[in-house]
Amino acid sequence: MKVKVSILICLAVLLIGVFGASAQDTFFGKTAAELFPIPGVAANELEQTLAFEALLAANVPDGHELGEGKTMTFGVLGQGSRGGISGTIYFWRNAFEAATGASLEIVEIPYNQLGTTIPADFLTGQYTYDAFVGAAWQYGDWISNGWIQPIDQYIGDERFTHWTPEDTAPPFRALLQWGGQTYGTQMDGDAQLFYYRYDVLNDPEWQAAYEAEVGEPMPYPMETWQDLLAITTFFNGKDWNGDGDPDDGISLHLAPGGQGHFHYATLAASFAVTPADGDDPRAVTKYDNVFWFDPDDMTPLINEPGHVLALEFLQELAATGSEAQAGWQLGEAWDNFLGGNAIATFSWGDVGSLSQDEERSTIKGNLGASAILCSSEWYDREIGELVTDTENPNCVGNTTGGSWHPTMSAFTEIPELTYFFMSMIANPSINFYNATTGWQGIDPCCTYQLYQPRGSATSEDYTAVGFNADDMERYINAYGANVYDKPTSVTYLRIPGTLEYIQETLDIRLSEAMTGQSTAQEALDATAEDWLEVTDDLDADSQLEIYQQAIGYGG
Amino acid sequence: MPLSPTFGSLDRMMNNKAKYVFLMPAVVWVLFFTLFPLVYSFGLSLTNYRMGRNPKYIGFDNYAEILGIGEEKPDKKAISTAGFSAFLFLSSTAATLLFGTFVAWVFNHNLPFLRQMRAIITMPLFAAPIALGWLGVVIFNEQAGPINNILQGIGLPRINWFIEPMPARFAVMFTDVWQWTPFVFIIVLAAMQAVPDDLYESARLDTKSNWTLFRMITFPMIAPALGTVMLLRMVESLKIIDIPYSLTRGGPGSVTQTYVYYAYEKGLIGSFQLGEAAALAYLLVIVAIVISSIYFYRVRERFA
Repeated sequence: MKVKVSILICLAVLLIGVFGASAQDTFFGKTAAELFPIPGVAANELEQTLAFEALLAANVPDGHELGEGKTMTFGVLGQGSRGGISGTIYFWRNAFEAATGASLEIVEIPYNQLGTTIPADFLTGQYTYDAFVGAAWQYGDWISNGWIQPIDQYIGDERFTHWTPEDTAPPFRALLQWGGQTYGTQMDGDAQLFYYRYDVLNDPEWQAAYEAEVGEPMPYPMETWQDLLAITTFFNGKDWNGDGDPDDGISLHLAPGGQGHFHYATLAASFAVTPADGDDPRAVTKYDNVFWFDPDDMTPLINEPGHVLALEFLQELAATGSEAQAGWQLGEAWDNFLGGNAIATFSWGDVGSLSQDEERSTIKGNLGASAILCSSEWYDREIGELVTDTENPNCVGNTTGGSWHPTMSAFTEIPELTYFFMSMIANPSINFYNATTGWQGIDPCCTYQLYQPRGSATSEDYTAVGFNADDMERYINAYGANVYDKPTSVTYLRIPGTLEYIQETLDIRLSEAMTGQSTAQEALDATAEDWLEVTDDLDADSQLEIYQQAIGYGG
Repeated sequence: MPLSPTFGSLDRMMNNKAKYVFLMPAVVWVLFFTLFPLVYSFGLSLTNYRMGRNPKYIGFDNYAEILGIGEEKPDKKAISTAGFSAFLFLSSTAATLLFGTFVAWVFNHNLPFLRQMRAIITMPLFAAPIALGWLGVVIFNEQAGPINNILQGIGLPRINWFIEPMPARFAVMFTDVWQWTPFVFIIVLAAMQAVPDDLYESARLDTKSNWTLFRMITFPMIAPALGTVMLLRMVESLKIIDIPYSLTRGGPGSVTQTYVYYAYEKGLIGSFQLGEAAALAYLLVIVAIVISSIYFYRVRERFA
C-alpha cells in the first residue's frame, strides 16, 4: 500500500512538474518574476502565477528571427498601465520582448482623442503605429481609407501563436471582419448585459412588499424593459440595502462624452428594430435589422417612433435612479451598482468581472445577470405602426461598444512581428486569463469562455481565479444567451464619420433630452437634421455604399 | 572722402553682423510661428478642407455659413457656444478682477504669515487648467462634493452642478475664477505696494474711511495695472477650452461648450473640418482684435 501511495505521489509531483508552472519554469529564459514583476506589472503573486501559467499554456513560438533588434510601435486606447484595454498591452509586453528580442513601444491614446490621433497620423503620412487597438466601429473609416490590412494570410501560420476566429462567437467575429476578410485579432467582446441584485430580488420579503404596494406579483425574473421599470420604480428611494439612506432603482450614466449613447442604442434596439421574417431573422432588409439609417437612401431613422419611444422610456427609467446620474460618466454608474446602491444596471461585461473584485465591489456573491431585456412595445417599420405585445416581446441583442482589438497598419514595415504580438494576446489561454482580471476591461468573446452548451469553459475555470461560482453561472450564461440566443442583434455604427454622427451629435442631443432641455422627439429630430448634414458633407453616395457594406445589406 | 553721417550709420549697421545673428531667431520665430500660421489658416478658412479630402476654394462661404449671411442659415451651435463664451467673458473677467483686487487689498496690509499665504493663494495659477477641471469634478460632485456638503450643512439645498444648465455654466465660471484670481492678485498687489505711503498718510488727515482712501488713492494708482489685467483676462476668457472639456465635457447637452471648444471639435475631433474650424477661429481673432483696439484706444486717450 505504502509503495502504491509513494508511486502516486511521485506521479503527481512529476505531472505538476511537467504541466504546471513552478518557480523554476522559464519562458525564453525569463522567470515569472522577471516577466510579471510585483509591483510594476502584476499586482500580487496570484496574478503573477496565473499569468505565467496562461503564458506557458499558450505555446508561444520562438519569434527571435522576426523580431531581434526591432522596435514595434503599438497605439492603444490609453487608460494607463493598470487600466482597461491599455493595461493588457503593458501586461504582456515583457513576454513578447522575451519571445522575440524586439522592443515594444506603447503609445496611449485617450478615449476622446481616438478619432483624432490615429486618423491624423495616417492623413499626415506619419504612419507611427505598426498596430493599434481601436474600436470595431472605426472599421468604416480605416478600411475605406486603406489604413489597415487584412491578416488572413497569417492565421494558422505556425510561426505565430495559435488562435482562430472560429473560437469567437459569431456576432463578435463579424466585428473583426469586413467584406469577407479578417482585419483584427480577438481581444475584447463588447455586448451589453442586464445586471441586477440577485439577493434582493429573490428575497421573499421584498417580493411580498412589492405585491403589497403594487397590487401584483413582482415581474421577476424580468423579461422586458417594462418589467424592469416596474421594479426600479418600486425600489427607488427605499433603503433596501439597510445603510440608512434611500437607495436607487437603476444606475445609468448620461453625461456627454461619458459613453451613455452606447447604452441608449442597447436599450433602443428592442424598441426600434425588428427581426426579419423567414428562416434568417438576422437578414437585413429595408425594414428589418436596420437601426441607424434607411439602407436604401441614408435617411436617418433616429427620429422614427421606435427611437422616440425608447428615449421617452429611458427618461422614465432614469427617473428611478439618482438624479445625479445625468452628470455621471461610465465608471460612476458602475461604481454605484458595484457599491450596492442600485438594484439594476445594464452595461458591458466589465461589470460582471469587476463585481468579483472585492476592492471595488460589495456585491460579490449577489450578482444577478441576464441577456439584455426585450420590449413589449416597439415600432414595426414595415407596417408603420407601434406594436404592443406583452406575451411575445421584441428581443434584440447587441454588440454595442468598442470590442477593442488590435488591427495592423497597412503601412507597417514589420507585419510579421506585428502579427506575432497580435496573435499572442489573442491566444485562448492568454485571452481567457485577461478576461478574468476585471481591471483589464477585457470581456468574454469566445466559446472557450462560455459554459456548455455554447462553449467549453467550466465553473472551475472561473473559481480557480477566485470568482464566485454562482455569480459566474449567472453571468457567463447571460453572456452566452446575449450573443447566441437572441433572434437578432444590433451593432454599433461602423461608417466614416461615426464620431460625428454619434459623439458630436447624438450624444449631445441625448444629454439635452435627459436633462430636460428638450423633449425626446425634439432631441431626435435635431439629431436627424444633424445627421443629414454630416452625410451630405461626407458624400451621401459613398456613405450609403459603405453603410450597406457595414450592415450586409444587398438591396 | 568720408561718408555722410547717414551713410556712416548705414555702413556701421551693415557691418554689425552680430546684430542680425541675434535678431534672426526672433524673426524666424515670428515668421514661422506667428505669420505663417496666420496666413495659412486664413487661406484654409476660404476652403472646404476636410483632412483627407482635396480642398476646394469656396471664398467666404464658411464665414457666411457661420454667420447666416445670404441664403445660409446661421450655425446655431456657433451662436450658442459664442453666447456661453460671452457669458464667461463678462462674468469671469468681472469676478476675477473683483476678487483679485479685494484679496490684494487685504494682503496690502501688514498681516502675519503674509508671504506664506501669498504662496498658497497663488497655487491655482500654476496648475494646468485641465487638472483644475478634474478637481472641479470632485468639488462640484452632486452627491459627495464638498460644495454641496457645505450647502447642505448650512441648510441650503444641494445644487445639480452638472445636470442643470445654469449651475453647470456657473461651475465652469467658478473654476476659471478660482484659477485666475491669483493672477489678478499678484499684479494688483504689486501695483498697490508701489503706491507711496506718504500719499495715504496725507490723506488720512482728511478722512478715516478706508473706502474713501481706496476710491480716491488706491484705485486711481492701480488703474493702469488693472486695465492691463482686464485686457489679458478678457482675451484669455475668450479662449477657455480646458476647463469645460474636463469639468463638464461641454454638457449638459452642449450648454457649457465654449466657442473655442466648438472650433476644436469641428477641426480636430472626428470630422476634421479644418476649413470651417479656421473660419471659426478667424472670427474669434477679429473679436479679440476689436476688444484690444478699444482698450488701447482708451488707454491712449487717457494717458497720452
